[in-house]
Amino acid sequence: MSSAHDDHGHHGSRFIQHHYDDAQHQFDSGKFGIWLFLAQEVLFFSALFVAYILYRVHHGEIYSYAHKWLDVKYGAINTAVLIFSSLTAAWAVRAAQLGQRLLLIVCLGTTILCACTFLGIKYIEYAHKVHEHILFGRYFDPCVSPGGMELLTKNNECSGSKSTVQWDPGSGKAKEGCFEISKIDQDAARPGVQADCVVTEVTGAASKPITNRCRDELQEMLDGEHEAADAPKSEKKEEAPKFPCWRPAYQPAVCPDLTDADKRSHGIGARPQAGIIVEYGDHLERGEEVVIKADCKAPMQATAPPAVAGTEIGDRSLKPGERSLRPAHVLTTHEEHELESLGPPPEHTSMFFTIYFAMTGLHGIHVLVGVIVFVWLLVRALKGHFTADYFGPIDYAALYWHIVDLIWIFLFPLLYLIH
Amino acid sequence: MSSTTHHDEHADDHGLAHVATVKTLTATGGTLLLLTLVTVLATKIDFGANINLAIAMVIAVTKATLVILFFMHLRYDRLFHTVVFVSAICAASLFVGFTLMDSSQYQHTNIWQPSAPPPAPVGPRPTG
Repeated sequence: MSSAHDDHGHHGSRFIQHHYDDAQHQFDSGKFGIWLFLAQEVLFFSALFVAYILYRVHHGEIYSYAHKWLDVKYGAINTAVLIFSSLTAAWAVRAAQLGQRLLLIVCLGTTILCACTFLGIKYIEYAHKVHEHILFGRYFDPCVSPGGMELLTKNNECSGSKSTVQWDPGSGKAKEGCFEISKIDQDAARPGVQADCVVTEVTGAASKPITNRCRDELQEMLDGEHEAADAPKSEKKEEAPKFPCWRPAYQPAVCPDLTDADKRSHGIGARPQAGIIVEYGDHLERGEEVVIKADCKAPMQATAPPAVAGTEIGDRSLKPGERSLRPAHVLTTHEEHELESLGPPPEHTSMFFTIYFAMTGLHGIHVLVGVIVFVWLLVRALKGHFTADYFGPIDYAALYWHIVDLIWIFLFPLLYLIH
Repeated sequence: MSSTTHHDEHADDHGLAHVATVKTLTATGGTLLLLTLVTVLATKIDFGANINLAIAMVIAVTKATLVILFFMHLRYDRLFHTVVFVSAICAASLFVGFTLMDSSQYQHTNIWQPSAPPPAPVGPRPTG
């Protein structure tokens, strides 16, 4: 074996295998191999692009809504980082070809650094999505809207959640809890008060809320009542916080049923209140009304400390230490705008994130593999393995790295830059 | 080994493979970064969803072509490597195209709704 190397002594490198005619033969064979591998990579990723394209063609509305959860800033930085690392990888090949050992080491090091930066930014993005439950499939239960508005979620697992509704993830039904119903007893004299209700009964299958109808209707009803009751105070009423009923598009859409006289009579406090209508449903249950009945107690002042609310709830279904009532949420101008412009997310929005995580995840694994390969090459470069007649591994790894860059060049506009 | 340090970067045929010039590499990298900036800025302007998508894709394809031709040396490489790569892209296109045709054909039956059954197929009733 070792004597075979001597046959190629005029080529210099000890890495020229004996079963090749010469360095050129070995290099060309390797290069052909890597191109076949790259062709396979294209086909490999094309399966995911098929999924993406298919879903976008048939459900474009999901893409134009859900991409707003992604931060273009991170995507753009990552694109630039990858392009720069591609440049240094290509430069590493040149340095290896010309025998510039120090430059080769610098280029490989920079490439590794860029790849790690890419993965670091990806980690920031992923961590945010995990934290806010912006995930794939049934784990999609976002805690924040695309504009950053805090949401009441289906499973109520967000840290610092404003909702006290306890959901049974198995049946998808609300077990007990306290809905924020700040608008139900909106009083011109006491803006922002909210009632404290404990759900006693849920009828109908509840899985996913579908409606935003309550906002307009409720607003009209309350406006009508107020105008009839105390017309002079209408100016104050406009300042009162609106209850964003569509927010429960990911959450229980909680609306007071002011149309039902019986339910209204159950109320206590300054205003009649009792029934809370929640509309849910996946596509099979569309239109089916789910009624949640609740026992409500007197509304507390918006400024009341949470500790007071906790003790008052003590003898009810809520246990002390559980999330307590909070002051009614006053929508900011930004949130108002988002409510108007964005509306609730379309059905099956989770599919966008299923595709997002599949594509960026597979790509991320490729980047990780690239880091490992380049570290290996860096070690070999430090040992001085690469010469003008033996730089194949650098070239092959760079080609692989370029295809990883290439895929990201398409992923970035397709996922982050949807108009 | 010692002769390699004096390698002429313009003498493409003397090494094992083409050596990219520094100018080519930096120009390609710079153009790619510039195009990234352009594609981000282009989404800020509303040309309509389809045109915006078309602009983004044209820029992406341009960037991909630059990477393939210069970073991946395909312009100076063997023609057969181009054949291999383009074949893979053609196969992927067939994959996308046929799946789209098929899914569009049966879209109305994908989600079965008892209240709105799909229309009966057009054509003669099968006999026998």
